[in-house]
Amino acid sequence: MASTSFSFPSRLLHRNPTGSSRNPRKRTATVRTLAALSDPYVLQLAETFEDSLSSAPSADTLSLPILQNLRDSSSASLLSKTWPSSKDEPFRFTDVSFLKKSEIAPVSTVPSRYSPENPQLLGVCDGQSPSLFLIDGRVVETFSDLSGLPSDVFVGSVSAAPESVLRVISDSVANFSQGDLFWDLNGMGALDIAVIHVPAGTRIEKPLYLRLFSSQGVGDGLNTLPVSNPRCIVVVEKGAYIEIIEEYFGGEEGESYWTNSVMEVAIADGGRVRHSYLQMHGKNAAHIKWTLVRQEASSGYELVEVSTGAKLSRHNLHIQQLGPDTQTNLSALHLCGCNQLQDLHSRLVLDHPRGEARQLHKSIVSHSSGRGVFDGNIQVNRYAQQTDAGQMSRNLLLVPRATVDLKPNLQIIADDVQCSHGATMSDLETEPLFYFQARGIDLQTARKALLFSFGAEVTALLHTPLRKRVEDHVKRITHC
Amino acid sequence: MAHTLHVLTSASPVPCSRSPPLKHRPFTVFSSTHLRRSIPPLTRRSLSLNASLAVESPSISGSGEAEPLKPLLEVKDLTAVVAESKEELLHGVNLTIYEGEVHAVMGKNGSGKSTFSKVLVGHPDYEVTGGSVIFKGQNLLDMEPDERSHTGLFMSFQSPVAIPGVSNSDFLLMAYNARQAKLGLPELDPIKFYSYIQPKLAALNMDPLFLNRNVNEGFSGGERKRNEILQLSVLEADLAVLDEIDSGLDVDALQDVAKAVNSLLTPKRSILMITHYRRLLDYITPTYIHIMEDGRIVKTGDVSIAQLLEEGGYKALSSTS
Repeated sequence: MASTSFSFPSRLLHRNPTGSSRNPRKRTATVRTLAALSDPYVLQLAETFEDSLSSAPSADTLSLPILQNLRDSSSASLLSKTWPSSKDEPFRFTDVSFLKKSEIAPVSTVPSRYSPENPQLLGVCDGQSPSLFLIDGRVVETFSDLSGLPSDVFVGSVSAAPESVLRVISDSVANFSQGDLFWDLNGMGALDIAVIHVPAGTRIEKPLYLRLFSSQGVGDGLNTLPVSNPRCIVVVEKGAYIEIIEEYFGGEEGESYWTNSVMEVAIADGGRVRHSYLQMHGKNAAHIKWTLVRQEASSGYELVEVSTGAKLSRHNLHIQQLGPDTQTNLSALHLCGCNQLQDLHSRLVLDHPRGEARQLHKSIVSHSSGRGVFDGNIQVNRYAQQTDAGQMSRNLLLVPRATVDLKPNLQIIADDVQCSHGATMSDLETEPLFYFQARGIDLQTARKALLFSFGAEVTALLHTPLRKRVEDHVKRITHC
Repeated sequence: MAHTLHVLTSASPVPCSRSPPLKHRPFTVFSSTHLRRSIPPLTRRSLSLNASLAVESPSISGSGEAEPLKPLLEVKDLTAVVAESKEELLHGVNLTIYEGEVHAVMGKNGSGKSTFSKVLVGHPDYEVTGGSVIFKGQNLLDMEPDERSHTGLFMSFQSPVAIPGVSNSDFLLMAYNARQAKLGLPELDPIKFYSYIQPKLAALNMDPLFLNRNVNEGFSGGERKRNEILQLSVLEADLAVLDEIDSGLDVDALQDVAKAVNSLLTPKRSILMITHYRRLLDYITPTYIHIMEDGRIVKTGDVSIAQLLEEGGYKALSSTS
């Protein structure tokens, strides 16, 4: 049996030549168990979360068995974990200590200051497609418009889900052992679950907007950090299709809040999901998100991520292949401006033959205090023969001291596969810049156009009306 | 009626190291029979082209009282090095182009032709170490590449770079409006620009769908060259430096491109062609041909030089100089 393992940690400024990630699990597992019961901070955090739930008004939803189970298993798992530090490999480049220094306050009440007509809530929705609205992690029916959906599709709060749908989703909730502390925190703090269920053979032509709004930010200078824990479950049955546009945004620009989100996607045989994920929080927000995807045979999953907001933004993407002939397409564009960290930790685990996977990660770091992080792991295990997997990370560092930390890595055990990966980091190339200048376009305009075109490789994958809005947003941001 | 044709006499080639360059150019009028003898294989078509060019030129109005030709570009003792390695590639280039003239620079690979054209437009790969370049009376070397473009200088790239994510129409409009803004002229919106560019596309036999494609992305060699000339026709430059505009073109494409270039010529506008091959000169007839060797112009003459080249290669020319 051929066994190959690649791990290329590459860092720009503080390059660490030793692959310190090699076999980290064995070593840290013991340490973790020993330290587990002795992280008083996590214990205290768990208590804070529990207290906030007792004061939450939506007791009906919270007492649903499915949420109770989720809380129980999450709190058990949470207490076995420590608060992550840079010594933990998954957080080696991502500093989450400022969360710990803040006074974390789980959001449990729905504020009255927003009405559905509030222009702030328009976001990128086109007003014609169905939409499900979540404020601080709770489904708000009055803000949602689900009229365009086929009748056999269920989209809404778990509290309104029919028994048949509950049965399907109960299997998946709390059934993932590789989540980190933030995954568990979400399970403990979730006030609701947004459920999207597409029955076998149903194709939904219009995209479904999933709009997640964080309403309770606090102004500058306060140490309080309100946290909400949105949780969504998407189940796409055999041969079904849905396009989901998951969009995160918050209240006033400059407000501090933390969105700690989890989305689970289960795609049955032959099902397809097109998923756009837009993170457009304000500059002082923190955003941590898990996306867990399970793909059965011949299913397809396509993700287009554009993350522009938050000072700390971390996306944990875990894709598990459960059958052969799957297709997976992952693209991400990160914009890292002043004091912004954009992090994508992705893991694609292939255990079955003939999987096809493409991953493209792009980041633009436009400020010396901006930082991009990419840890992309693709595991091609023993039975995943004839896998065709490719991964590429391209990074633009526009100013001195701009930093990206890249760790693209493929672990290949199967011996009959096609796999490729690569990573680049550079400033804008001189030749295209000169081409613009030679035609009379000044350097600054040329740089903007080239920046935009760099991002367009990802934004072009969004569907048309959305693409235009996102590109306008990207233009606005890169102009600052 | 006999053609009145103005060609620099081949018997007295101007030495290239002259400084300052020619102010009064020795013109000799040949009868068409004379010319046919001195430059035998020259086709009738190019004759007539040259003739029509000459007829338009103010310099040959019969009275001899014509206003003097204005120099458009004056290059004196230009030396340049590769910015990174400091290797000197141009060792003192002298060249003067007057309004309405067509010049061709020919030479072997590595003789400095392309370097010369890139230095003129301010390519960052090269550093000018000496000499001067005056364009329309202004010091070109003091200007940024975009400013050089605004003064009316254009270079068509030998292998123009692809720019994914920027559509051809956006690029052309940006370039056009940048120039308009600089000249204090009104800018066009995309719709008006489309009507502006429509005839220019037609002149180059280009499909309008071409505008929706990204700049040079997935273009064939011929499409890239046409696109360069399209940009030239949009920007209406006074001096077009065409760097191997003929390479990679089939005969049809070459004719389209040459036709478009010729149609852009006016008594005021000039062309500097860089080429390896005589073929291009059959379509765009030069007033002067310069032979470049080892970073210098070593020989200047009329189109008959090309004939010598055809017969004996660059070697033949070097030995005679």
